Amino acid sequence: METKLLTQHVGDPQQHTMERAIEHGAYQAWQKVLKEIAPADLIQIVKDSGLRGRGGAGFPTGLKWSFVPKDSLKSKYLCCNADESEPGTCKDRVLLEGDPHAVVEGMMIASYAIGCHTAFFYIRGEYDIGQVRMSKAIADAYAKGFLGKNILGSGYDLDIVVHRGGGAYICGEETALLSSLEGDKGLARLKPPFPAVEGLYRCPTIINNVETLANLPHIVVKGAQWFASLGTEKSKGTRIFSVSGHVKNPGNYELELGYSLRDLVYGLAGGILDDRPLKAIIPGGSSTPVLLPDKIDTKLDFESVAAAGSMLGSGAVIVMHEETCIVWVAEILAHFYMHESCGKCTPCRQGTGWIYEILRRIEAGYGKMEDIDTLLDIADNIEGNTICPLGDAAVVPVISTIKLFRDEYVYHIEHGKCKVHSQFKLRTK
Amino acid sequence: MILSDSAKLQISQTAKRYPKVRSAILPALHIAYEEHGYLSDQIYEEIAQILDLKLIEVAEAASFYTMFPKAKRGKYLIQVCRNISCALLGSHHLTAYLLDKLNVELGEITADGLFTVVEAECLGSCTTAPMMQVNAHYYENLTVEKVDRLIEEFRSQK
Amino acid sequence: MSDFNITVNGRQVPVIKGQTVLQASLAAGIDIPVFCWHPQLVPVGACRICLVEIEKLPKLQVACATIASEGMIVHTDSPKTIKVRQGVLEFILAHHPLDCPTCDKGGECDLQNLTFKYGLDYSRQHEPKHRVIVDANSTFDDLQIGPEIIRNQNRCIHCYRCTRIVDEIAFEDDLGAYQRSYHTEILPPPGREIRNLYSGNIVEYCPVGALTNDDWRYKVRVWLTKQTSVICPHCPDGCNMKLWNFHNKLFRATSRANENIDNGFICDIGRYGYQYVASPDRIKRPMVRRSGELVETSWEEALSLIRKQTDDIKSKLSGSGFFGFIGDIRTNEEIYAFQRLLRRVIGSNNIDHRFHRRRRLTPGEEVSSRGIESDNAEFKDIENADVIVVLGSDLHSENPITSLRVKRAVKRHNAKVILLNPLPTPLGKRAATLEVIYKQGTAAVLLHGLIDAVVDLERFDPSAIKLSAAEISDFRKANAAYAGVRGSEITGVDVTLVARVAEILAAAQNVFILAGSYVERDPLRDSLHLAVANLQSFCKSARKIFLPPDSNSVGAAFFGAEPTVLPGRQSWGKKAIYEDLWHGPIPDAPGKDTIGILEAIDEDEIECGLVFNADPVRLFPDGEYVRSVMEKLKLLVVIDSFMTDTARLADVILPLSTFAEIEGTRVNWEKRMQYSQRAIPPLHESKPGCEIIELLADRLGVKFNQSKPSDVYQEMARFFPTGAPTTYAAIGRDGFLIRSAETNKPGKLAYLRFVAPAIDTEYRFILLVGNADHHRGTLTERNEILMKFTGEPFVGISEADATDLAVSDGDLVKVESKYGRVVGKAMILRDFPSKRVLLPENFGEMSTNILMGRQDKIDMIKLAKM
Repeated sequence: METKLLTQHVGDPQQHTMERAIEHGAYQAWQKVLKEIAPADLIQIVKDSGLRGRGGAGFPTGLKWSFVPKDSLKSKYLCCNADESEPGTCKDRVLLEGDPHAVVEGMMIASYAIGCHTAFFYIRGEYDIGQVRMSKAIADAYAKGFLGKNILGSGYDLDIVVHRGGGAYICGEETALLSSLEGDKGLARLKPPFPAVEGLYRCPTIINNVETLANLPHIVVKGAQWFASLGTEKSKGTRIFSVSGHVKNPGNYELELGYSLRDLVYGLAGGILDDRPLKAIIPGGSSTPVLLPDKIDTKLDFESVAAAGSMLGSGAVIVMHEETCIVWVAEILAHFYMHESCGKCTPCRQGTGWIYEILRRIEAGYGKMEDIDTLLDIADNIEGNTICPLGDAAVVPVISTIKLFRDEYVYHIEHGKCKVHSQFKLRTK
Repeated sequence: MILSDSAKLQISQTAKRYPKVRSAILPALHIAYEEHGYLSDQIYEEIAQILDLKLIEVAEAASFYTMFPKAKRGKYLIQVCRNISCALLGSHHLTAYLLDKLNVELGEITADGLFTVVEAECLGSCTTAPMMQVNAHYYENLTVEKVDRLIEEFRSQK
Repeated sequence: MSDFNITVNGRQVPVIKGQTVLQASLAAGIDIPVFCWHPQLVPVGACRICLVEIEKLPKLQVACATIASEGMIVHTDSPKTIKVRQGVLEFILAHHPLDCPTCDKGGECDLQNLTFKYGLDYSRQHEPKHRVIVDANSTFDDLQIGPEIIRNQNRCIHCYRCTRIVDEIAFEDDLGAYQRSYHTEILPPPGREIRNLYSGNIVEYCPVGALTNDDWRYKVRVWLTKQTSVICPHCPDGCNMKLWNFHNKLFRATSRANENIDNGFICDIGRYGYQYVASPDRIKRPMVRRSGELVETSWEEALSLIRKQTDDIKSKLSGSGFFGFIGDIRTNEEIYAFQRLLRRVIGSNNIDHRFHRRRRLTPGEEVSSRGIESDNAEFKDIENADVIVVLGSDLHSENPITSLRVKRAVKRHNAKVILLNPLPTPLGKRAATLEVIYKQGTAAVLLHGLIDAVVDLERFDPSAIKLSAAEISDFRKANAAYAGVRGSEITGVDVTLVARVAEILAAAQNVFILAGSYVERDPLRDSLHLAVANLQSFCKSARKIFLPPDSNSVGAAFFGAEPTVLPGRQSWGKKAIYEDLWHGPIPDAPGKDTIGILEAIDEDEIECGLVFNADPVRLFPDGEYVRSVMEKLKLLVVIDSFMTDTARLADVILPLSTFAEIEGTRVNWEKRMQYSQRAIPPLHESKPGCEIIELLADRLGVKFNQSKPSDVYQEMARFFPTGAPTTYAAIGRDGFLIRSAETNKPGKLAYLRFVAPAIDTEYRFILLVGNADHHRGTLTERNEILMKFTGEPFVGISEADATDLAVSDGDLVKVESKYGRVVGKAMILRDFPSKRVLLPENFGEMSTNILMGRQDKIDMIKLAKM
């Protein structure tokens, strides 16, 4: 069963309008914050709630906020990261299109907490409807006096600027997002300095994911205790899982953290397409290790998925049935990381391309047995040695597929072809 | 000047929203792209001039992103998602089908000037795969039948 | 010195707080490989070759960007570190073409060297190499990206040193990195070339052979060459360079990083400037005039002729019938020996080095007798200033490396840069906070108006400066005619702009004033010097430097190349010391300066001249007059490397060796004395200056036995401050400062009396002489590479004047003064003030001095379309 907290109203085709959103309680939290809650208390509330980032890394949100230097005279900035590009992931889009006001309100609350007066909404350039609806929601919020100068007489000023990306996965990485927002190429930056200390325009900056922010109105209205009661001991609240691939009912499902993977795949998502046997699951987007069917009973929370050998990541559950050639999957993902590497640091720029080229060659039937070890060693030379996490992400599919399906690689190399044929056809109807 | 007065105005208005004008490069590129369908060195120059930035800043940024092509495309730019969720449901076949149907090579423009088919990385439509983006719009849960119908529609709209 | 220690490979390594692990390790002699790191660039951590293991940190860290902290335990040779280093090298080599045998970087390539030292001896890369195809018929894929620079993208290892140098150091915008991932490509912006004044540095600092330049390309292998250390002779910045030669032929110049001066970045003029040494136009043998024609002859014959003719003149006019000019680019040793030759051997004090950019002041100008000189200040002081005022200088073109220091102050701590100039200059768009354009000839008024505006500010704190309330109020009263709107009417500078400059100055803690060539050329030059000193008095703390015109102008002034001072800036009263030292008498009275010399020739009081690497006919105002005067001489001996306009008038020419063929010392604007080695033996039959002077002295009857510069240096050394090195060997890398103990203390305030020059209705345009791109002095004209950058001579005019005269870019225009005229192609300059004309001073085919009067305060011309 879904726990519809963030997605409660996304099914309502009018929820994106100000009128309907207000009917459903939008901006009550914002008014409460302005009237009753001091920024420091707000940070404490979010800390107490146990909310963790929904972008992929799962870092505690309140703690992140508290890294903003209190005594800094510089402007502080909030960036909402809506550069959703992790393969398999489309859960932020659900909120942007289905309940944009919740995201706007979340941005307001976060801005207030960190003392930001200009917040940026960085949305991937391709999300057209999301961008239109968010822009409208922000314009309506200005009209209602929820944004602008001296909001609702509180003396607090806030502007939100919508910024469209230009098509680059790397801009979802927070330092690259900042480079991009500054008008530069989306190149990752060295950390330290961390954005909370020196980010956008060299000022303290917090970058939060869409879904993370959308949780805030609920936490403010219903309280930290209530939020902390959802989920597991360390993974609080709900998450929206994007289930894609070989399932009968693909879709976005909002679940309390700790929900069973089996219930999601075989229950809500209706089971495997054509009732074929399950071959593998990627539980948290393309940058998380593959799980074998024996892990189907894993609970979907940060700790349990980690214990199963993967990561909860962005909550994108990609399901593959037995007809899927695993080398082919690795090749597709390798191509992606090669294409999206920003090119700044050597291991990622050169390594992602090399991995792809070897996989391409194996897939084309010209693999050599030593390629497998070469792949693992290239991956080892990339992992942990790059400026940003893209390099680490890029090697995950290679390492995990070789680890779990080495025999399939061997078959591929020995026979010059796939063990199974992933020649998936477009459905006729 | 290639850019229209309204585009120029829009660019300089947008720039005012940012604490630093350089941030307006991406919005300016979007505005220019929407007006012309592709970018050129001349457009880079004009954007640099409007924003009082260096040409190199505009040119470097534009070259980094995928959404600001310098080559002319067909009236309908069809981007087929090639990434994993779509691939599992036949996106490779979808690309091949489109190329065959439109009798065109990847990245080229059809003889009638209407279509260009390219492959794209994940477009965030994974639960509604396979999908393609035609200009700004997403077309999801594609089937052969649906693709045929869409192409017909595009052709009839010209 | 160190604040704490860290442990690197078990060794205690001292750290100065703020240092990175890399800096501390390198300082301690522990090698950590780098590609993208450069000591002067902000670390980007891109190449990852410097990853090291630091205990307690989960991942390896880039040594280049990790600040060392107390107790850190670092391993640069642990198995993990070695593996990742090999991995990075493997990644880079995966697609790097192995064309080392034909690559110019071979032998000095960081990738070769680090692979040799740390790399794997096998390859696992079987995929086709990535290639950016420029030329399908060749594997080199060379692309010319600027007049001198060639890019081979395939060799690029994406360290971004080149683009960072262009951006961070030079503040230029003609090179960038485009695309992303491994497609990332280095290119100038679309439709443009890389041609900035510092562009050669990107070749020098490219760690591989991705960027090469024409002068070195495919000509010689680096390991065959010999290097010598020289001081650049092209401007008074005094950059340190290496000259690379093979079989006595020069192949390139590179920097020889000196943190006091250049930080390892030299300008293209210095880098390619050596090329004139091997010019086919060199004067190869002595020449004498026979039946009106200059013909080649032997040294012996030339010297005999000089002896014979000088004897005649000497018997008629004594020593005062002689003069000597010496160029500011010569070494101290040559200058010293030359003035000694004039004074002691010939018996003449008529000597000068200031035969261009100067004119005698006409009466009517209030000038204090107090000489205003530069303060004791160094490059490093510019960097530490929070406000830098550039007055009357195209600093970018005239002192390119000083200009880099200004940019560095901006980059490092946001220093504010104020330009006060008669025309817009390249530094304006690149680094200026405010750029003020005044009407030529009114700079002194502008400064006085500015002082008034400072005092007018609420934040002005009289207690922070060393002036009494009475001094301030008297000064303001006297200044009323130059303050506010009244001053603005004279200078043409808006009062609000003056007020903005005043705001910045009033807030400044530490001001650095750089006054350049337009100050020296200013009609009120001396008043302007005083105005600068006045401004200094009103700043909390300020230093001023009057930038000298040439590479060794400071040395020439110090070592006696002026008629009224003796070596060591000694006054005439100290004459006996020199007579003692030189074993004989020198003339009693001080001699004549340039103008006096020319007038004396005109009046037949001087009949013989020794012109040593100087070209007054080309440079001194009213060129036609100078020519006619020089033609009157009975004997004109020119000692030079090239057939200059003056040399063409000579009776005897002695071939002189260039800077690369001699050793000696030079003094830059900091008054830093530096030693320059001899790179190659003298070419053709030319001789080094000291040897020629000794030959002349000997022939004229006095032997000094100092034909070697080192001998001369030992004698000169007595004039240095105590403790200064007395031999070349003792001069270290840093050189030494020959400044007096004087403090940077301005004197009493000087009042200004400004009389606006009469307006001539016929000659309505003001002539401004400036610099062309990559062009300096007259030697660059002998240089093929620099000529690729410079283009043609031009006549720069404003957009408004172009419209008025219906002139378009490239139209021929006539520039005419009372004294002469030139014709050139018009170039319409954006933001250029109207009623001004800019002429580059360096083109022989368009000499600017013929337009100038010797007596005029301001050069007025008329302009017409042809």
